[in-house]
Amino acid sequence: MNTKGDIEIEFGASSDVGRVRENNEDSFRVAPEINLFVLSDGMGGQSSGEIASRLASETVIAHCREAAENPALPFVGTMTEGASEFGSRLASAFNLANHAVHQAAESNPALRGMGTTLVAVVFTDERVSVAHVGDSRVYRLRNGRLELLTQDHSFIAEQVRQGHMTEQEAQNSNLQNVLLRAIGVDEEVEVDLNEELFANDDVLLLCSDGLTKELSDAQITSVLANVEDADTAARRLVKLANDAGGNDNITVIVLRNAPRLVGSFGKLGRWFRGS
Amino acid sequence: MAKLVLKFENSVLTETPVGGKEVSIGRSPDNGLVIDNPAVSHYHARVFNEEGRLMLEDFGSLNGTFVNGQRVKMVSLKPGDSLAIGKHTIIVTDSREAADPFWQGGVPKAAAPKINETVMLDTKERREFLQKVASVGESSQVAPARVKLATLVVRKGKTDKREYTLSDKLTVVGKSSMATVKLTGWFAPKAAAQINRREDSSYYIGGADRVPTVNGQPVIHPTKLSAGDIIEVAGIQLEFLYRD
Repeated sequence: MNTKGDIEIEFGASSDVGRVRENNEDSFRVAPEINLFVLSDGMGGQSSGEIASRLASETVIAHCREAAENPALPFVGTMTEGASEFGSRLASAFNLANHAVHQAAESNPALRGMGTTLVAVVFTDERVSVAHVGDSRVYRLRNGRLELLTQDHSFIAEQVRQGHMTEQEAQNSNLQNVLLRAIGVDEEVEVDLNEELFANDDVLLLCSDGLTKELSDAQITSVLANVEDADTAARRLVKLANDAGGNDNITVIVLRNAPRLVGSFGKLGRWFRGS
Repeated sequence: MAKLVLKFENSVLTETPVGGKEVSIGRSPDNGLVIDNPAVSHYHARVFNEEGRLMLEDFGSLNGTFVNGQRVKMVSLKPGDSLAIGKHTIIVTDSREAADPFWQGGVPKAAAPKINETVMLDTKERREFLQKVASVGESSQVAPARVKLATLVVRKGKTDKREYTLSDKLTVVGKSSMATVKLTGWFAPKAAAQINRREDSSYYIGGADRVPTVNGQPVIHPTKLSAGDIIEVAGIQLEFLYRD
């Protein structure tokens, strides 16, 4: 254990229906033994959003677990240039998840039109591969600064990127919930894949839009920077979002690279990677 | 119901209601709203209802469509918005603003999704929009004659090589086993800095265990690299450039 290059990750996760919705269409799944964390936010009538988000998250976990057992497992879809093997595997899992959700929607009239956002991170040494589709996000807190590592695939975000709308106008727009990309809606999907460094003391946050529509960057930063363990931070974020209105389902996964805190928190959400 | 009031200078020319059917705007006489002026394209733009919201789309017109002074491709409209097409102005009005669900972000049809429900842009609209976005991106980029390779050249300091091609999405500068630019000094940090290649093939540098400088300026936020930039971090100096 603790050989050079290994990291130790502490994680906490929490999901809540919020104070307005009746169903929780968010899902999260973790596979700590392969350093994989997945979050999704479903959409669709009746309970199909829940089905889409669960199916997507579970497909990603299953494909990556299978690849860990059998490295010769074929990749699904186009490869991303310059990505690591684990990053490519994650993109492959997203393509498979898209196929699974799309097939399910096509084969059952009650599920037609369902879809989901999907965001996942996988760690290899100090590299973290970040894949996403939709408007669920990944943030990184480093040296007290919060950085957004993903770009929302939403109509509004695209308007801002093209300079047709200011941030202010975007915040007030009534088209907040219009997505340009989602898992399961079309036969194929374009997956964004980025690779980042997971440095000492970095904190990563995966979240559904139910969090970011209620809390400011400053509020999120304050929780991530000041709360000592990831599990408490995750619960605190969900509570704050509920206090601020809880208009949507809220789901978060908090991941901390905390090598100096070995042994401090024995309980939930802690494991060691390495030989 | 929403109405489009066409004005030239201070006089009202026409009033066109927007119902379930879209209103196309242009110079050709078969448009729903005809503006007979050479500055206006034959088929210039359209106004339509999308999921209960009033939307404007410019058809890639030569002189553009401006909403409240900003050139737009596709935007949602609200009462009081002022559209400029050539020298003409179109004011968006509504007689029953408060009561009309079009302005509530709500939905008039019972079968449509609930307020605040996440939805996809309708498939055809989405494809067209994404295509348009992609073509805007393409036309604004100058296509390189040859593929140029982003490269770091070591100007000062101890590293394992003198030059590195940045072909990966992530390049780490440090002593770590996963670092590409490997520092060999005794007290070198595990991960001093990182360089990311983004979707559009641009490169950004960010600090990790150290705060790098680019041309003498400390890197607080991830910073885009340009050819000729000098990076200093953890006692080494690197030049970012493109090789043929």
